[in-house]
Amino acid sequence: MAAVKAGLNFFAGYPITPASEILHELVNQKTVKVLQMEDEIASVNAIIGASLAGAKSMTATSGPGFSLMQESIGHAHMMEVPLVIVNVQRVGPGTGMPTFPAQGDIMQCKYGSHGDYFPIVFYPNSVAELYEFTFNAFNAAEESLSPVILLSDSYVSHLYETIEEADYPVSNRTLAPLGTSNRHFTGLTHKDSSPVTSDHGVHKKLIKHLETKQKKVSRKYNNYEYIENKYSDILLITYGALSRAVYDLKEDFAIYRPVRIFPLVDKIKTIAKKYKEIVVMEMNAGQYVNEIERLLHREVNFIPILGGKIDLNEIWTKLRRIKTKK
Amino acid sequence: MTKELTYLNYLKQDRLPHQWCPGCGNGIVLKLACQAMEKLNFLKTGTVMVSGIGCSGRSAGFFDLDSVHTAHGRALPVAEGIKLANEKLNVMVISGDGDLFGIGGNHLLHASRRNTDITIICISNAIYGMTGGQCSPTTELSSRTLTTPRGNVDTPINVQALVTAHNCFYARSTTYHLNHALKCITEALQHKGLSFVEIKSQCITNDGRRRGFKNSYEMLMSYKDTYKINNNSSVLEHDEIGIIK
Repeated sequence: MAAVKAGLNFFAGYPITPASEILHELVNQKTVKVLQMEDEIASVNAIIGASLAGAKSMTATSGPGFSLMQESIGHAHMMEVPLVIVNVQRVGPGTGMPTFPAQGDIMQCKYGSHGDYFPIVFYPNSVAELYEFTFNAFNAAEESLSPVILLSDSYVSHLYETIEEADYPVSNRTLAPLGTSNRHFTGLTHKDSSPVTSDHGVHKKLIKHLETKQKKVSRKYNNYEYIENKYSDILLITYGALSRAVYDLKEDFAIYRPVRIFPLVDKIKTIAKKYKEIVVMEMNAGQYVNEIERLLHREVNFIPILGGKIDLNEIWTKLRRIKTKK
Repeated sequence: MTKELTYLNYLKQDRLPHQWCPGCGNGIVLKLACQAMEKLNFLKTGTVMVSGIGCSGRSAGFFDLDSVHTAHGRALPVAEGIKLANEKLNVMVISGDGDLFGIGGNHLLHASRRNTDITIICISNAIYGMTGGQCSPTTELSSRTLTTPRGNVDTPINVQALVTAHNCFYARSTTYHLNHALKCITEALQHKGLSFVEIKSQCITNDGRRRGFKNSYEMLMSYKDTYKINNNSSVLEHDEIGIIK
Protein backbone atom coordinates (compact mmCIF):
# COMPACT_ATOMS: atom_id res chain seq x y z
CA MET A 1 0.00 0.00 0.00
CA ALA A 2 2.78 2.37 0.98
CA ALA A 3 4.75 1.32 -2.07
CA VAL A 4 1.85 2.27 -4.35
CA LYS A 5 1.55 5.64 -2.62
CA ALA A 6 5.29 6.15 -2.87
CA GLY A 7 4.92 5.88 -6.65
CA LEU A 8 5.53 2.19 -7.40
CA ASN A 9 4.80 1.45 -11.09
CA PHE A 10 6.52 -1.85 -11.68
CA PHE A 11 6.97 -5.01 -9.66
CA ALA A 12 8.63 -8.27 -10.63
CA GLY A 13 8.86 -11.21 -8.29
CA TYR A 14 9.03 -14.94 -7.79
CA PRO A 15 6.93 -16.79 -5.21
CA ILE A 16 8.73 -17.45 -1.94
CA THR A 17 7.58 -17.94 1.64
CA PRO A 18 7.20 -15.62 3.52
CA ALA A 19 7.29 -12.79 0.95
CA SER A 20 4.66 -13.96 -1.56
CA GLU A 21 1.90 -11.93 0.10
CA ILE A 22 3.40 -8.76 -1.35
CA LEU A 23 3.13 -10.23 -4.86
CA HIS A 24 -0.48 -11.32 -4.19
CA GLU A 25 -1.42 -7.86 -2.96
CA LEU A 26 0.19 -5.93 -5.80
CA VAL A 27 -1.38 -8.06 -8.54
CA ASN A 28 -4.68 -6.41 -7.66
CA GLN A 29 -3.37 -2.86 -7.82
CA LYS A 30 -4.42 -1.10 -11.00
CA THR A 31 -1.52 1.33 -11.14
CA VAL A 32 1.24 -1.27 -10.88
CA LYS A 33 2.51 -3.52 -13.65
CA VAL A 34 3.26 -6.86 -12.04
CA LEU A 35 5.38 -9.55 -13.61
CA GLN A 36 5.88 -13.01 -12.17
CA MET A 37 9.29 -14.10 -13.41
CA GLU A 38 11.01 -17.48 -13.70
CA ASP A 39 13.36 -16.82 -10.76
CA GLU A 40 14.70 -14.10 -8.50
CA ILE A 41 17.60 -13.32 -10.81
CA ALA A 42 15.15 -12.53 -13.60
CA SER A 43 12.99 -10.54 -11.16
CA VAL A 44 15.74 -8.21 -10.02
CA ASN A 45 16.96 -7.75 -13.59
CA ALA A 46 13.47 -7.01 -14.86
CA ILE A 47 13.12 -4.24 -12.29
CA ILE A 48 16.55 -2.90 -13.24
CA GLY A 49 15.33 -2.61 -16.83
CA ALA A 50 11.98 -1.14 -15.81
CA SER A 51 13.59 1.36 -13.48
CA LEU A 52 15.97 2.55 -16.18
CA ALA A 53 12.96 2.89 -18.49
CA GLY A 54 11.45 5.31 -15.98
CA ALA A 55 9.27 3.21 -13.68
CA LYS A 56 9.67 3.20 -9.91
CA SER A 57 10.37 -0.47 -9.35
CA MET A 58 10.45 -2.96 -6.55
CA THR A 59 10.85 -6.68 -5.90
CA ALA A 60 10.25 -8.72 -2.77
CA THR A 61 11.87 -11.95 -1.69
CA SER A 62 13.29 -13.93 1.21
CA GLY A 63 16.78 -15.18 2.03
CA PRO A 64 17.28 -17.80 -0.72
CA GLY A 65 15.99 -15.43 -3.40
CA PHE A 66 18.01 -12.58 -1.95
CA SER A 67 21.15 -14.71 -2.31
CA LEU A 68 20.34 -15.23 -5.99
CA MET A 69 19.94 -11.49 -6.52
CA GLN A 70 23.31 -10.50 -5.12
CA GLU A 71 25.28 -10.24 -8.37
CA SER A 72 22.71 -7.97 -9.94
CA ILE A 73 22.41 -5.82 -6.80
CA GLY A 74 26.12 -5.01 -7.07
CA HIS A 75 25.63 -4.45 -10.78
CA ALA A 76 22.81 -1.99 -10.09
CA HIS A 77 25.04 -0.09 -7.65
CA MET A 78 27.64 0.23 -10.40
CA MET A 79 25.05 1.32 -12.99
CA GLU A 80 23.38 3.60 -10.40
CA VAL A 81 19.83 2.32 -10.80
CA PRO A 82 17.18 3.28 -8.21
CA LEU A 83 15.44 0.14 -6.89
CA VAL A 84 13.71 -1.09 -3.77
CA ILE A 85 14.35 -4.66 -2.70
CA VAL A 86 12.27 -6.09 0.11
CA ASN A 87 13.74 -9.04 1.96
CA VAL A 88 11.40 -10.83 4.37
CA GLN A 89 13.91 -12.92 6.27
CA ARG A 90 13.45 -16.55 7.26
CA VAL A 91 15.62 -19.08 9.07
CA GLY A 92 18.66 -20.19 7.04
CA PRO A 93 21.13 -21.19 5.73
CA GLY A 94 19.86 -23.40 2.93
CA THR A 95 16.13 -23.91 2.86
CA GLY A 96 16.16 -23.59 6.65
CA MET A 97 12.80 -22.96 8.31
CA PRO A 98 10.74 -21.12 5.70
CA THR A 99 7.92 -20.01 7.98
CA PHE A 100 9.98 -18.85 10.94
CA PRO A 101 11.63 -15.45 11.39
CA ALA A 102 15.36 -14.86 11.49
CA GLN A 103 17.80 -12.03 10.99
CA GLY A 104 20.46 -13.91 9.13
CA ASP A 105 20.73 -11.70 6.04
CA ILE A 106 22.21 -8.66 7.77
CA MET A 107 25.73 -9.09 6.46
CA GLN A 108 24.45 -10.20 3.08
CA CYS A 109 22.73 -6.82 2.69
CA LYS A 110 26.02 -5.04 3.10
CA TYR A 111 28.59 -7.46 1.70
CA GLY A 112 26.57 -9.92 -0.41
CA SER A 113 27.80 -8.85 -3.82
CA HIS A 114 31.41 -8.77 -4.94
CA GLY A 115 33.36 -5.51 -4.92
CA ASP A 116 32.83 -2.30 -2.96
CA TYR A 117 29.42 -0.77 -2.59
CA PHE A 118 27.64 1.15 0.14
CA PRO A 119 24.00 0.15 0.45
CA ILE A 120 21.30 1.89 2.45
CA VAL A 121 19.30 -0.64 4.48
CA PHE A 122 16.18 -0.08 6.62
CA TYR A 123 14.75 -2.57 9.10
CA PRO A 124 11.45 -1.43 10.67
CA ASN A 125 9.76 -3.43 13.43
CA SER A 126 6.03 -2.75 13.10
CA VAL A 127 3.39 -2.49 10.40
CA ALA A 128 3.18 1.28 10.89
CA GLU A 129 6.93 1.60 10.54
CA LEU A 130 6.98 -0.67 7.50
CA TYR A 131 4.47 1.69 5.93
CA GLU A 132 6.56 4.75 6.75
CA PHE A 133 9.88 3.21 5.76
CA THR A 134 8.59 1.98 2.42
CA PHE A 135 8.29 5.68 1.56
CA ASN A 136 11.78 6.28 2.94
CA ALA A 137 13.18 3.37 0.95
CA PHE A 138 11.69 4.65 -2.32
CA ASN A 139 12.83 8.20 -1.60
CA ALA A 140 16.34 7.14 -0.62
CA ALA A 141 16.56 5.02 -3.79
CA GLU A 142 15.60 7.97 -5.99
CA GLU A 143 17.94 10.35 -4.18
CA SER A 144 20.93 8.02 -4.16
CA LEU A 145 20.27 6.27 -7.51
CA SER A 146 20.97 2.94 -5.90
CA PRO A 147 19.17 -0.22 -4.76
CA VAL A 148 17.79 0.33 -1.25
CA ILE A 149 17.03 -2.71 0.86
CA LEU A 150 13.98 -2.86 3.09
CA LEU A 151 14.38 -5.69 5.57
CA SER A 152 11.63 -7.46 7.39
CA ASP A 153 11.13 -10.92 8.81
CA SER A 154 8.29 -13.40 8.73
CA TYR A 155 7.27 -12.17 12.18
CA VAL A 156 6.89 -8.47 11.47
CA SER A 157 5.44 -8.96 8.01
CA HIS A 158 2.68 -11.27 9.22
CA LEU A 159 1.41 -8.91 11.88
CA TYR A 160 -1.98 -7.25 11.69
CA GLU A 161 -1.80 -3.80 13.23
CA THR A 162 -3.66 -0.56 12.96
CA ILE A 163 -1.84 2.09 11.00
CA GLU A 164 -2.49 5.63 9.97
CA GLU A 165 -2.45 5.95 6.19
CA ALA A 166 -0.42 9.12 6.19
CA ASP A 167 0.88 10.68 2.99
CA TYR A 168 4.59 11.06 3.41
CA PRO A 169 6.54 13.26 0.99
CA VAL A 170 7.61 11.46 -2.19
CA SER A 171 10.87 12.11 -4.03
CA ASN A 172 10.47 12.31 -7.77
CA ARG A 173 12.59 10.62 -10.40
CA THR A 174 15.58 12.68 -11.48
CA LEU A 175 17.16 10.13 -13.82
CA ALA A 176 15.94 10.59 -17.42
CA PRO A 177 14.30 7.40 -18.75
CA LEU A 178 15.84 5.20 -21.44
CA GLY A 179 15.21 6.24 -25.02
CA THR A 180 15.90 9.93 -24.51
CA SER A 181 19.65 10.18 -24.98
CA ASN A 182 22.78 8.18 -25.81
CA ARG A 183 23.94 7.11 -22.37
CA HIS A 184 25.55 3.72 -21.80
CA PHE A 185 24.71 2.03 -18.50
CA THR A 186 27.40 -0.51 -17.76
CA GLY A 187 28.61 -2.58 -14.86
CA LEU A 188 32.16 -2.10 -16.07
CA THR A 189 34.26 0.62 -14.53
CA HIS A 190 33.24 3.64 -16.54
CA LYS A 191 33.68 7.34 -17.04
CA ASP A 192 31.26 9.58 -18.93
CA SER A 193 29.18 6.65 -20.20
CA SER A 194 32.19 4.82 -21.67
CA PRO A 195 33.82 1.72 -20.21
CA VAL A 196 37.35 2.34 -18.90
CA THR A 197 38.75 -0.96 -17.70
CA SER A 198 42.46 -0.31 -17.33
CA ASP A 199 42.70 3.03 -15.52
CA HIS A 200 43.04 2.55 -11.77
CA GLY A 201 42.47 6.22 -11.09
CA VAL A 202 39.08 6.17 -12.78
CA HIS A 203 38.00 3.21 -10.65
CA LYS A 204 39.14 4.85 -7.41
CA LYS A 205 37.22 8.00 -8.32
CA LEU A 206 34.10 5.99 -9.19
CA ILE A 207 34.10 4.12 -5.87
CA LYS A 208 34.72 7.36 -3.98
CA HIS A 209 31.77 8.89 -5.83
CA LEU A 210 29.51 5.95 -4.88
CA GLU A 211 30.59 6.18 -1.23
CA THR A 212 30.12 9.94 -0.88
CA LYS A 213 26.74 9.81 -2.59
CA GLN A 214 25.43 7.08 -0.30
CA LYS A 215 26.73 8.81 2.84
CA LYS A 216 25.16 12.08 1.82
CA VAL A 217 21.73 10.57 1.20
CA SER A 218 21.79 8.35 4.28
CA ARG A 219 22.34 11.41 6.50
CA LYS A 220 18.72 12.35 5.74
CA TYR A 221 17.54 9.09 7.27
CA ASN A 222 19.24 8.85 10.68
CA ASN A 223 16.49 6.64 12.01
CA TYR A 224 16.87 4.90 15.36
CA GLU A 225 14.98 4.47 18.59
CA TYR A 226 16.57 4.95 22.00
CA ILE A 227 14.84 4.15 25.27
CA GLU A 228 16.93 5.65 28.03
CA ASN A 229 17.14 4.01 31.43
CA LYS A 230 18.89 6.02 34.16
CA TYR A 231 18.83 3.13 36.60
CA SER A 232 20.66 0.68 34.37
CA ASP A 233 24.24 0.58 33.21
CA ILE A 234 23.50 -1.98 30.51
CA LEU A 235 22.44 -1.03 26.99
CA LEU A 236 20.64 -3.61 24.84
CA ILE A 237 21.03 -3.24 21.10
CA THR A 238 18.38 -5.01 19.07
CA TYR A 239 16.27 -4.53 15.93
CA GLY A 240 13.41 -5.98 13.91
CA ALA A 241 11.10 -8.66 15.29
CA LEU A 242 13.32 -9.34 18.28
CA SER A 243 13.21 -5.72 19.43
CA ARG A 244 9.47 -6.02 20.01
CA ALA A 245 10.03 -8.77 22.57
CA VAL A 246 12.94 -6.89 24.10
CA TYR A 247 10.69 -3.86 24.76
CA ASP A 248 9.41 -5.84 27.76
CA LEU A 249 12.82 -5.40 29.38
CA LYS A 250 12.84 -1.62 29.25
CA GLU A 251 12.20 -1.35 33.02
CA ASP A 252 15.53 -2.99 33.69
CA PHE A 253 17.71 -2.01 30.74
CA ALA A 254 18.24 0.78 28.26
CA ILE A 255 17.39 -0.15 24.69
CA TYR A 256 18.82 1.10 21.41
CA ARG A 257 17.19 0.04 18.15
CA PRO A 258 18.67 1.08 14.81
CA VAL A 259 16.15 1.34 11.95
CA ARG A 260 18.56 2.41 9.27
CA ILE A 261 20.91 -0.44 9.95
CA PHE A 262 23.36 0.41 7.15
CA PRO A 263 25.29 2.67 7.02
CA LEU A 264 25.41 2.52 10.85
CA VAL A 265 23.89 5.53 12.58
CA ASP A 266 26.76 7.34 14.34
CA LYS A 267 24.59 8.32 17.28
CA ILE A 268 25.26 4.95 18.91
CA LYS A 269 28.81 6.13 19.67
CA THR A 270 27.63 8.85 22.07
CA ILE A 271 24.80 6.75 23.50
CA ALA A 272 27.09 3.80 24.22
CA LYS A 273 29.47 5.96 26.29
CA LYS A 274 26.86 6.21 29.04
CA TYR A 275 26.74 2.46 29.64
CA LYS A 276 29.21 0.03 31.20
CA GLU A 277 28.02 -2.99 29.28
CA ILE A 278 26.65 -3.25 25.78
CA VAL A 279 24.61 -6.33 24.83
CA VAL A 280 23.72 -7.00 21.21
CA MET A 281 20.83 -9.39 20.64
CA GLU A 282 19.94 -10.61 17.19
CA MET A 283 18.38 -13.65 15.53
CA ASN A 284 21.58 -14.99 14.03
CA ALA A 285 24.90 -16.39 15.22
CA GLY A 286 26.57 -12.98 15.32
CA GLN A 287 26.43 -10.48 12.48
CA TYR A 288 25.49 -6.94 13.50
CA VAL A 289 27.45 -7.37 16.73
CA ASN A 290 30.69 -7.28 14.77
CA GLU A 291 29.70 -4.03 13.08
CA ILE A 292 28.81 -2.50 16.46
CA GLU A 293 32.08 -3.68 18.02
CA ARG A 294 34.02 -2.24 15.13
CA LEU A 295 32.27 1.11 15.38
CA LEU A 296 32.56 1.41 19.19
CA HIS A 297 36.08 0.00 19.54
CA ARG A 298 35.13 -1.88 22.70
CA GLU A 299 34.09 -5.31 23.85
CA VAL A 300 30.43 -6.07 23.34
CA ASN A 301 28.32 -8.92 24.81
CA PHE A 302 26.28 -10.97 22.44
CA ILE A 303 23.12 -13.06 22.79
CA PRO A 304 22.19 -15.07 19.71
CA ILE A 305 18.57 -16.16 19.20
CA LEU A 306 18.46 -19.07 16.80
CA GLY A 307 15.74 -21.23 15.27
CA GLY A 308 13.05 -18.58 14.98
CA LYS A 309 11.85 -18.82 18.58
CA ILE A 310 12.03 -15.82 20.90
CA ASP A 311 12.03 -16.90 24.56
CA LEU A 312 12.26 -14.06 27.08
CA ASN A 313 13.14 -16.42 29.94
CA GLU A 314 16.15 -17.64 28.03
CA ILE A 315 17.18 -14.06 27.31
CA TRP A 316 16.74 -13.18 31.01
CA THR A 317 19.00 -16.02 32.11
CA LYS A 318 21.74 -14.85 29.79
CA LEU A 319 21.31 -11.21 30.78
CA ARG A 320 21.55 -12.15 34.47
CA ARG A 321 24.88 -13.79 33.77
CA ILE A 322 26.14 -10.59 32.15
CA LYS A 323 24.79 -8.56 35.09
CA THR A 324 26.55 -10.69 37.72
CA LYS A 325 29.77 -10.85 35.70
CA LYS A 326 30.68 -7.30 36.71
CA MET B 1 29.95 11.83 -45.42
CA THR B 2 29.04 9.72 -48.40
CA LYS B 3 25.53 8.44 -48.67
CA GLU B 4 26.42 4.76 -48.15
CA LEU B 5 27.86 5.45 -44.72
CA THR B 6 24.81 7.04 -43.13
CA TYR B 7 24.30 3.93 -40.99
CA LEU B 8 27.28 5.21 -39.01
CA ASN B 9 24.92 7.75 -37.45
CA TYR B 10 23.67 4.98 -35.21
CA LEU B 11 27.16 4.49 -33.75
CA LYS B 12 29.22 6.57 -31.36
CA GLN B 13 31.89 7.37 -33.90
CA ASP B 14 34.29 8.73 -31.32
CA ARG B 15 34.43 5.20 -29.89
CA LEU B 16 35.47 3.68 -33.22
CA PRO B 17 37.46 1.71 -34.22
CA HIS B 18 36.08 -0.99 -31.92
CA GLN B 19 38.44 -3.10 -29.82
CA TRP B 20 37.52 -6.52 -31.25
CA CYS B 21 40.23 -8.69 -32.83
CA PRO B 22 40.98 -8.38 -36.55
CA GLY B 23 38.72 -10.82 -38.41
CA CYS B 24 36.02 -10.87 -35.72
CA GLY B 25 32.40 -11.11 -36.83
CA ASN B 26 31.00 -8.78 -34.16
CA GLY B 27 31.69 -5.64 -36.20
CA ILE B 28 29.78 -7.11 -39.15
CA VAL B 29 26.73 -7.68 -36.96
CA LEU B 30 27.05 -4.19 -35.50
CA LYS B 31 26.93 -2.77 -39.03
CA LEU B 32 23.99 -5.00 -40.01
CA ALA B 33 22.03 -3.87 -36.97
CA CYS B 34 22.65 -0.22 -37.88
CA GLN B 35 21.67 -0.80 -41.50
CA ALA B 36 18.45 -2.51 -40.45
CA MET B 37 17.57 0.37 -38.12
CA GLU B 38 18.32 2.84 -40.90
CA LYS B 39 16.17 0.90 -43.34
CA LEU B 40 13.23 1.10 -40.95
CA ASN B 41 13.91 4.75 -40.08
CA PHE B 42 14.30 4.01 -36.40
CA LEU B 43 14.72 7.14 -34.35
CA LYS B 44 17.76 7.18 -32.10
CA THR B 45 15.62 8.34 -29.23
CA GLY B 46 13.03 5.68 -28.70
CA THR B 47 15.39 2.80 -29.35
CA VAL B 48 17.25 0.99 -26.59
CA MET B 49 20.09 -1.49 -26.99
CA VAL B 50 20.70 -4.14 -24.34
CA SER B 51 23.59 -6.58 -24.16
CA GLY B 52 24.98 -9.18 -21.82
CA ILE B 53 28.60 -10.04 -21.08
CA GLY B 54 31.31 -11.27 -23.39
CA CYS B 55 32.94 -9.92 -26.54
CA SER B 56 29.54 -9.37 -28.12
CA GLY B 57 28.28 -7.91 -24.85
CA ARG B 58 30.43 -4.89 -25.56
CA SER B 59 28.34 -4.05 -28.65
CA ALA B 60 25.70 -2.03 -26.81
CA GLY B 61 28.23 0.62 -25.83
CA PHE B 62 29.03 1.46 -29.44
CA PHE B 63 25.52 2.52 -30.39
CA ASP B 64 24.64 6.18 -30.25
CA LEU B 65 21.48 5.24 -28.32
CA ASP B 66 20.63 4.71 -24.69
CA SER B 67 22.10 1.32 -23.95
CA VAL B 68 22.40 -1.09 -21.04
CA HIS B 69 25.25 -3.51 -20.49
CA THR B 70 23.73 -6.02 -18.09
CA ALA B 71 25.19 -8.73 -15.85
CA HIS B 72 26.21 -12.00 -17.49
CA GLY B 73 23.19 -13.78 -18.99
CA ARG B 74 20.67 -11.21 -17.82
CA ALA B 75 20.08 -9.17 -20.98
CA LEU B 76 16.64 -10.71 -21.58
CA PRO B 77 14.95 -9.96 -18.26
CA VAL B 78 16.37 -6.43 -18.36
CA ALA B 79 15.09 -5.95 -21.92
CA GLU B 80 11.68 -7.30 -20.92
CA GLY B 81 11.57 -4.95 -17.95
CA ILE B 82 12.37 -2.00 -20.23
CA LYS B 83 9.76 -2.95 -22.82
CA LEU B 84 7.02 -3.56 -20.28
CA ALA B 85 7.73 -0.35 -18.41
CA ASN B 86 7.63 1.70 -21.62
CA GLU B 87 5.94 -0.10 -24.50
CA LYS B 88 6.72 2.69 -26.98
CA LEU B 89 10.42 1.86 -27.00
CA ASN B 90 12.07 -0.37 -29.59
CA VAL B 91 14.11 -2.77 -27.51
CA MET B 92 16.95 -4.71 -29.10
CA VAL B 93 19.29 -7.22 -27.50
CA ILE B 94 22.69 -8.06 -28.98
CA SER B 95 24.55 -10.78 -27.16
CA GLY B 96 26.50 -13.97 -27.57
CA ASP B 97 25.58 -17.64 -27.53
CA GLY B 98 27.23 -18.32 -24.15
CA ASP B 99 25.37 -15.42 -22.60
CA LEU B 100 21.95 -16.18 -24.11
CA PHE B 101 21.91 -19.99 -24.12
CA GLY B 102 24.35 -20.88 -21.35
CA ILE B 103 24.09 -18.71 -18.27
CA GLY B 104 20.93 -17.02 -19.57
CA GLY B 105 19.27 -20.13 -21.02
CA ASN B 106 16.42 -20.19 -18.56
CA HIS B 107 15.57 -16.57 -19.36
CA LEU B 108 15.40 -17.33 -23.09
CA LEU B 109 13.04 -20.22 -22.42
CA HIS B 110 10.68 -18.03 -20.43
CA ALA B 111 11.08 -14.87 -22.50
CA SER B 112 9.93 -16.78 -25.58
CA ARG B 113 7.02 -18.13 -23.56
CA ARG B 114 6.02 -14.60 -22.56
CA ASN B 115 6.57 -13.43 -26.16
CA THR B 116 7.46 -9.86 -25.18
CA ASP B 117 7.94 -7.58 -28.17
CA ILE B 118 11.73 -7.45 -28.24
CA THR B 119 14.30 -8.34 -30.91
CA ILE B 120 17.25 -10.51 -29.98
CA ILE B 121 20.31 -10.72 -32.19
CA CYS B 122 22.59 -13.54 -31.14
CA ILE B 123 26.17 -13.46 -32.35
CA SER B 124 26.64 -17.19 -32.31
CA ASN B 125 30.34 -18.02 -32.61
CA ALA B 126 30.26 -21.42 -30.89
CA ILE B 127 32.89 -20.40 -28.36
CA TYR B 128 33.48 -18.40 -25.16
CA GLY B 129 35.87 -16.03 -26.91
CA MET B 130 36.53 -13.39 -24.27
CA THR B 131 37.63 -15.90 -21.65
CA GLY B 132 40.07 -17.62 -23.97
CA GLY B 133 38.09 -20.14 -26.01
CA GLN B 134 36.09 -22.57 -23.90
CA CYS B 135 33.37 -24.85 -25.24
CA SER B 136 29.99 -23.06 -25.46
CA PRO B 137 26.39 -24.33 -25.73
CA THR B 138 26.58 -24.02 -29.54
CA THR B 139 29.98 -25.68 -30.03
CA GLU B 140 29.61 -28.44 -32.64
CA LEU B 141 30.04 -32.10 -31.72
CA SER B 142 33.68 -33.22 -31.65
CA SER B 143 34.90 -29.65 -32.09
CA ARG B 144 38.14 -28.90 -30.24
CA THR B 145 38.26 -26.06 -27.72
CA LEU B 146 40.30 -25.31 -24.59
CA THR B 147 37.88 -27.30 -22.46
CA THR B 148 37.24 -30.07 -24.98
CA PRO B 149 40.81 -30.94 -26.05
CA ARG B 150 39.68 -34.34 -27.37
CA GLY B 151 36.59 -32.94 -29.06
CA ASN B 152 33.20 -31.83 -27.75
CA VAL B 153 31.05 -34.75 -26.56
CA ASP B 154 27.82 -32.78 -26.02
CA THR B 155 25.26 -31.95 -28.68
CA PRO B 156 24.93 -28.21 -29.44
CA ILE B 157 21.73 -26.58 -28.23
CA ASN B 158 18.80 -26.56 -30.65
CA VAL B 159 17.88 -22.89 -30.46
CA GLN B 160 15.46 -23.12 -33.35
CA ALA B 161 13.35 -25.71 -31.56
CA LEU B 162 13.52 -23.78 -28.32
CA VAL B 163 12.40 -20.46 -29.79
CA THR B 164 9.85 -21.81 -32.26
CA ALA B 165 8.32 -24.06 -29.59
CA HIS B 166 6.48 -20.96 -28.41
CA ASN B 167 5.78 -19.74 -31.96
CA CYS B 168 8.27 -16.90 -31.82
CA PHE B 169 10.08 -15.48 -34.83
CA TYR B 170 13.33 -17.33 -35.51
CA ALA B 171 15.88 -16.58 -38.21
CA ARG B 172 19.32 -17.97 -38.84
CA SER B 173 22.00 -16.41 -40.98
CA THR B 174 25.77 -16.00 -41.10
CA THR B 175 28.29 -13.20 -41.29
CA TYR B 176 29.04 -14.32 -44.87
CA HIS B 177 25.45 -13.96 -46.14
CA LEU B 178 25.27 -10.21 -45.53
CA ASN B 179 22.12 -9.41 -47.53
CA HIS B 180 20.33 -12.38 -46.07
CA ALA B 181 21.38 -11.46 -42.53
CA LEU B 182 20.22 -7.88 -43.07
CA LYS B 183 16.85 -9.16 -44.29
CA CYS B 184 16.58 -11.38 -41.21
CA ILE B 185 17.28 -8.52 -38.81
CA THR B 186 14.96 -6.12 -40.64
CA GLU B 187 12.08 -8.60 -40.60
CA ALA B 188 12.79 -9.42 -36.96
CA LEU B 189 12.56 -5.75 -36.03
CA GLN B 190 9.21 -5.49 -37.81
CA HIS B 191 7.85 -8.59 -36.10
CA LYS B 192 5.37 -8.05 -33.27
CA GLY B 193 6.39 -10.24 -30.37
CA LEU B 194 9.68 -11.85 -29.54
CA SER B 195 11.98 -12.24 -32.52
CA PHE B 196 15.25 -14.10 -32.45
CA VAL B 197 18.01 -13.84 -35.05
CA GLU B 198 20.91 -16.23 -34.71
CA ILE B 199 23.88 -15.07 -36.74
CA LYS B 200 26.65 -17.63 -37.09
CA SER B 201 29.83 -15.69 -36.63
CA GLN B 202 33.54 -16.42 -36.68
CA CYS B 203 36.09 -16.17 -33.88
CA ILE B 204 39.49 -16.77 -35.42
CA THR B 205 41.52 -15.83 -32.34
CA ASN B 206 40.14 -18.30 -29.84
CA ASP B 207 38.28 -20.83 -31.95
CA GLY B 208 39.11 -20.96 -35.66
CA ARG B 209 42.86 -21.22 -35.30
CA ARG B 210 42.53 -24.23 -32.99
CA ARG B 211 40.28 -25.92 -35.53
CA GLY B 212 42.76 -25.54 -38.39
CA PHE B 213 41.55 -22.35 -40.06
CA LYS B 214 44.35 -20.08 -41.24
CA ASN B 215 42.34 -16.86 -41.09
CA SER B 216 38.79 -15.60 -40.72
CA TYR B 217 38.39 -15.45 -44.50
CA GLU B 218 38.60 -19.25 -44.53
CA MET B 219 35.97 -19.39 -41.82
CA LEU B 220 33.67 -17.13 -43.84
CA MET B 221 34.20 -19.32 -46.88
CA SER B 222 33.25 -22.36 -44.81
CA TYR B 223 29.92 -20.62 -44.06
CA LYS B 224 29.50 -20.07 -47.78
CA ASP B 225 30.08 -23.76 -48.45
CA THR B 226 28.07 -25.08 -45.52
CA TYR B 227 24.92 -22.98 -45.36
CA LYS B 228 22.23 -22.91 -48.03
CA ILE B 229 19.36 -20.46 -48.01
CA ASN B 230 15.99 -22.09 -47.44
CA ASN B 231 12.98 -19.85 -47.96
CA ASN B 232 10.15 -22.36 -47.97
CA SER B 233 10.32 -24.53 -44.96
CA SER B 234 8.93 -24.51 -41.46
CA VAL B 235 12.05 -26.15 -40.10
CA LEU B 236 15.65 -25.33 -40.93
CA GLU B 237 18.15 -28.19 -41.20
CA HIS B 238 21.45 -27.67 -39.42
CA ASP B 239 23.11 -26.56 -42.70
CA GLU B 240 20.33 -24.21 -43.79
CA ILE B 241 19.69 -20.55 -43.12
CA GLY B 242 16.34 -18.82 -43.35
CA ILE B 243 13.42 -17.28 -41.52
CA ILE B 244 10.68 -19.05 -39.59
CA LYS B 245 7.76 -16.91 -38.47
